[in-house]
Amino acid sequence: MAPTLERKHAGTLKLQKSPQISEDVSDEDQLMEHAEGSEDSGEMSAMEEGEDGEWGGISGSKDTGVVDDSHSGTKPKKPPTGEELRTIKDASDLFKSSSFKLQIDALLPNVRPKSSRTAPLEQFLFALHSFLKDLPSIAPQHPLEAGRKLLKKGVAVPYSLPLPTEDTNWKVAFEAPSDITLVGSWANKVSVKAKDGGKFGVDLAVEMPNSLFQEKDYLNGRFFHKRAFYLATIAAAIQKSKSLDVVVVYESLRGDPRLTKLVLVPTHNSANDFTKLNAKICIIPVLHSESPIPLHRLSPSHSNVRLHTSTEITGDDALAPTHLPTPLYNNALLRTLTPRYQLLAIHELQNECPAFSDALTLVRIWANQRGYSEGTRMCVRGFEGAGPWWWSILALLLNGEERRSGATKANKRKSVGNGLSSYQLFKAALEFLAKHDWEKEPVFVRSANKHRYPPEEYHTSTESVFVDSASLTNLLAGVPLGSLELLRYDALRTLETLNQSSFSGDPFTAVFLKDCRDLNTRFDVIIRVNLVSAKPRSISAHSTIDIGSPVNALLASISSILRQGLGDRSRAVAILHPSSVPRALSQAHPSTPNDIFVGIVHNPQHAFRVVDHGPAVDSDDQPALQAFRELWGDKSELRRFKDGRIMESVVWEVTTADERAHVPAMVVRHLLKHHFNIQDDEVETWQTPFDSLLRLPQTVSREYMALGVSTGFKGALTAFDNLVKAIKALDEELPLALLTVSPISELLRYTSVFSPVPLPSSVAQLLPPNARYLEPIEIVLEFEKSSRWPDDLKAVQTIKLAFFDKIASALMESVPELSARVVIGDGVHDSPIMDKACLEVITPEGWAFAAHIWHDREVNLLDQLIGGKANILPHIVTKTEKKKSAEHYEALEAKEVYMRRFIHAPRHHRAIATLAHHYSAFPGTVRLVKRWLAAHWILHGHFSEELVELICASFFVEGGRTVTADADTEKTIQDLVPASKERGFACVIQFLKEWKWEEGLFVPLYGAEAVPSDKAQASTSKVGAASAWKVTTELDKEGHVWTYQGPDLVVAHRVRALANATWKCLQDVEAGQFNVQSMFIHPTDDYDFVLQLDPVVLPRYLHNVTADADLLAKRGKYANKAQEQDAVLPMPGFDPAKLFSSDLQRVYADTLKIFYDPFGGDKIGAVWDPSLKDARPFRVLGGFSSIPVKKDDEKAKDKGMVTINQSAVIMEIERLGTGIVKKITVHN
Amino acid sequence: MTTIPSNISGFSVIPVQYNSSTTHYLYARSHASKSGSNTVLPDGRTLFLVNLPPDATERELVLFFKHSGTVEKVIFDFDVKELQNADSDSEDEDEDEQMDDAADEQPRKRRKGERVQAPVVIPLPAPPLRKLRKTGGSAYVIFLDPSSLERALASTSKPRAWLKSPEEPVGLAHYLARYTAARPPLDAVRAFADSSVELYEYELAKKKQKSKYRKGESIVDADGFTLVTRGGAYGKNLGGGVGVASKRFQRSGETSRNRGAKKDKKEKEGFYAFQKAEKQRSGLMELKRKWEEDKVKVEKLKAARRFKPY
Repeated sequence: MAPTLERKHAGTLKLQKSPQISEDVSDEDQLMEHAEGSEDSGEMSAMEEGEDGEWGGISGSKDTGVVDDSHSGTKPKKPPTGEELRTIKDASDLFKSSSFKLQIDALLPNVRPKSSRTAPLEQFLFALHSFLKDLPSIAPQHPLEAGRKLLKKGVAVPYSLPLPTEDTNWKVAFEAPSDITLVGSWANKVSVKAKDGGKFGVDLAVEMPNSLFQEKDYLNGRFFHKRAFYLATIAAAIQKSKSLDVVVVYESLRGDPRLTKLVLVPTHNSANDFTKLNAKICIIPVLHSESPIPLHRLSPSHSNVRLHTSTEITGDDALAPTHLPTPLYNNALLRTLTPRYQLLAIHELQNECPAFSDALTLVRIWANQRGYSEGTRMCVRGFEGAGPWWWSILALLLNGEERRSGATKANKRKSVGNGLSSYQLFKAALEFLAKHDWEKEPVFVRSANKHRYPPEEYHTSTESVFVDSASLTNLLAGVPLGSLELLRYDALRTLETLNQSSFSGDPFTAVFLKDCRDLNTRFDVIIRVNLVSAKPRSISAHSTIDIGSPVNALLASISSILRQGLGDRSRAVAILHPSSVPRALSQAHPSTPNDIFVGIVHNPQHAFRVVDHGPAVDSDDQPALQAFRELWGDKSELRRFKDGRIMESVVWEVTTADERAHVPAMVVRHLLKHHFNIQDDEVETWQTPFDSLLRLPQTVSREYMALGVSTGFKGALTAFDNLVKAIKALDEELPLALLTVSPISELLRYTSVFSPVPLPSSVAQLLPPNARYLEPIEIVLEFEKSSRWPDDLKAVQTIKLAFFDKIASALMESVPELSARVVIGDGVHDSPIMDKACLEVITPEGWAFAAHIWHDREVNLLDQLIGGKANILPHIVTKTEKKKSAEHYEALEAKEVYMRRFIHAPRHHRAIATLAHHYSAFPGTVRLVKRWLAAHWILHGHFSEELVELICASFFVEGGRTVTADADTEKTIQDLVPASKERGFACVIQFLKEWKWEEGLFVPLYGAEAVPSDKAQASTSKVGAASAWKVTTELDKEGHVWTYQGPDLVVAHRVRALANATWKCLQDVEAGQFNVQSMFIHPTDDYDFVLQLDPVVLPRYLHNVTADADLLAKRGKYANKAQEQDAVLPMPGFDPAKLFSSDLQRVYADTLKIFYDPFGGDKIGAVWDPSLKDARPFRVLGGFSSIPVKKDDEKAKDKGMVTINQSAVIMEIERLGTGIVKKITVHN
Repeated sequence: MTTIPSNISGFSVIPVQYNSSTTHYLYARSHASKSGSNTVLPDGRTLFLVNLPPDATERELVLFFKHSGTVEKVIFDFDVKELQNADSDSEDEDEDEQMDDAADEQPRKRRKGERVQAPVVIPLPAPPLRKLRKTGGSAYVIFLDPSSLERALASTSKPRAWLKSPEEPVGLAHYLARYTAARPPLDAVRAFADSSVELYEYELAKKKQKSKYRKGESIVDADGFTLVTRGGAYGKNLGGGVGVASKRFQRSGETSRNRGAKKDKKEKEGFYAFQKAEKQRSGLMELKRKWEEDKVKVEKLKAARRFKPY
């Protein structure tokens, strides 16, 4: 594309005055131009239609590669020619894969300006050029007076700090620019489309004549004042000009008034309308390289602002030494010298390395997608107008690093070859970003002639240092370290995506096409801070002046203090705010953001530490001690620790496990309050409402607290261990010895929505009946093998009953107060061969367990039933295809249950429990997602819990990362996975929103541990195949083990819609109107009818998302009423609403779809099968309650037509739900 | 409500009044078995009902048809097969076609012998419980008297109310009852389990007696072939002394795990020049094919406008 632009720009070249650029139109380029030209013509028609017509269909998409692809699409009949072969090989060797290369080729034209639309811009540039050249001079005058004059014309002069005063004795003036050059990415044809429909920037360097300046102008912002006046004069002239007819605005880079530039935007329908190009012209005043200002005065360590001359500053800064260095100020001044250098440097690189432009484009797309650029959404601080920085990274890679004097180490960065492909260069850039330690190592790009300032000069600046090859400016001046850490984190993540041997999905999309700016999925904690009332405690006037504006000084200070305070708790602390917006000419100074966001990426190893240790009190390092006290204020206390040390330390008070996750946010709150006087209500995090979703209501948890019952996962695990011990102790009394007990319950793997609680009778009495739910914990008992098991399935089930009876009576004898019952079935299935009986144990502490017995011969017996004779004697070929008997189906169903319960569930449980141990955010994520799905009436009925766990697990094991029991915990902590449940939740929602479920999802949950055996393969059956989703693991290639309940297409679409709505809700974080609870409130209008249940009879009502506290209050006014039901028998697992809803779903399987919140939902929603509303011919086994339709004409006698009898069905439901259903609301 | 046809595809429509405004419709037809006599569903006095309410119980149907005559028995569709089996040992082997599938050889055999000395299974306690069937199900109502059938089919004009049977609870009470019923007292479970196991063992012994498979004897079929099979997991080879193919061999026809792999084909590959050339060529073709495939794929994505990053 580049040469084409080049040609058309031939006219502008004079304007550019950079002769090198015009030389590179070679023959090859002309060839390419042909291709480009045809592409453009093909595109034109398509583009006319919409403003987003960037790409015009297949016809226009000639591959820009070298291949002659005249026969693309046809079947290759001839072997490829040598040239083709080279391209193909190149594509797969130099790029990730050939499809990756093709995708890159397809992507690049979409982010570059359209050459066909540049003509009006060129015309305009010509006009502007002559206009600027002809501007009349203005005689020198006092700066304030000059400002007042301009203000009358509606143009404010953007004087920067320290402002000029009445007694300044120098003057500002204007003369027509001595030179006007097109610079920056536009001139080098490396423009990349900006995010959020931003415009291409066409930078115009306007050289201020040397005669305007004096040697001493570097002092006290004098140069900037002159520059400001120069700019304002041009602005006023352009604004007044009729011929140019553009809108002129100021724009200050990063809100720094010293870096103000003029932005010209075309008005519609004017003569110079280049709107279609979507570009803007930026006028940047620059200095001539031979200006009177001496460069040696501008090195980072020089002090160029004398404070006593400023008037604005108050307080005690008079005491401060006046000769502090002003690196940022100097840097800002130097910036006016760099555009020309950069133009030439880029051009040289382009000549040397053919892939440079493409690589730069890729890097910039990548950065734009992650908010390291301007945009309307939250952008990472410090990367506005960071164009030079991105190409300098590539320059560093290509040129290598400057040899540092003194550093004899071999760690000098070697340059990469010029022959790298764009992808390789891109990846090298990411690797550099991912590995470099910005805090410690300054970077100096190697330049042909030595750097102007020696590296030592830069030590004075507190920031990271990256000096480009033009060797004048520090490109990272003003970029907070936290932002760079975030950049490193993002680069690491992208590299991981690129390096993964991709199982599912194409890394291309994730790397280049996906917008990754979303706060929720990016940060473990996001904190919104309102800056309006901020009063910094310790920002010196000097640093304010050095940085350029009070707001920038405040943000820099916040960033550094937070970073210091959080320390190793976080991997990155970044400040985000929307990028600065252009302002009217009448406004001298940029407006400042009210709200900023602080995003924290946890380092899970340390993030939740409760105590921060400072230096020991007797240490010699008094300054460190002082600094620690200074940082923490009165929160810092002297404490004596167990090992005898006495240390200055900060302790964060944490009462519950949930609150531990809040520690980093607490740190931020404290620091903001202490240093900036930002009160707690100005700082917003959203952790508490998320936590409360997973907690029992106060009224209930209070009772547990009061009685000191051991609850939670720990309690459950202890109870489980005790039970196992108790059963093991019965070995004498049981005919077979117990081999293993495998837990298969979410309550024992940390993933149940509510942390498990027992229901001892002491608590049960205190609770109202609708809060007396006891969830049984499912476990599987495996006994030693024996030949005495019968060879008949029915008999096996009966023997199990006998076993249960034995265990039950023995247990009750050996453990006092334990009660055990045999549950003979679930009341729904009555197949005699299915494993449906279990042993129900209620421990003395009030925990309930449901134990199943695993007999491994069962599956063989079932297989025999399923396969019939063919299974046993396959070589005897039966000719007649036997009809499948009912027994066959019964056995299939029984096997399904068997496989799931005894083979898959224990394995799944182990893997999930391991994962939960390794990643502290994983269980929380699962719990939130489960809660969310349940709150939207989808869990259980349409979704199995294990499916949710699998999907959530995919975010923690992605990239082939395997987590097994013996994996190193230390190592897993370093993985780039969500470290807070809120982030995990947002990731899952985003995934559900975008997932193309046809593609399936592969979760490498089992890792190396998995040995896929034939058996596991063969075990899969068709039961889950009806579901729309497919989640595979190493041990489940079909991906339907856990989708046996669905979701089917309807539900899958519903989930997607819900995820979309929830995602929108999450986006409101940026707008500041985020309500966590609202994501969990389910709209009921879409249902055909809704059953309102009676909350008084629902034992799980306490789990309801919006439980009414009154209904959960201790019952009754009558004290003696409590006496009546004194002996409260716990009923583990008894939940009539769940039973009722699943009965409804079963009974009306083909009529209705039932939706219900298993966690104490007090409503059941139902949707008719829409096809039933039409009349259809009568069939004996229609499967729905029908009503005959009156025939339209008597002649059509063939078939009676029937349709759904809705009212009768609703009546039946009401009858079935007597005592449970309170009201039925039918929507129309 | 508009008039409802009283007849549909040969079924009489019987309206059932749920309440003043809601009517449910049953479809009824007299049952005619296809293969002559049938003791379970006698011709002439069996009414075939379709579209039952899901929670209908036998008692409720009896109540509903009380006006047309005394009902002897109600058989719900899904239960028919079991009944068939239970009845079959009385005498009858000839049955309705659809029931034939269900009837399996073995249980019948097993049950035949058990009449005399078989131990009796002590059933688990079964309190009256409603069984919720899938909606739109069918049932056979067998009247005592053929005339009742006609009366039942004729009386379609006026909707009659559906009376709830008080014996079996509904709604919340139903679930409570079901919950309790699933947890019988331990001694009941024990009694049931013990007696069932006893019965099973008895049957096993019986079967062994009757079986033609005896240790040491081989089975010769009509063509004179000896059937050699492997026993159960813990069983012995029947017939004794004969080597039996492994399961693996039965399944795949391969005898041993690694014998197939050992066969080395190395000698033939890349031996001749043309083979090498061929191989190289096909490799290149493959490369190109993949390349073209990728191209097509990307084209498709392009067409879907996927390459606009923002």
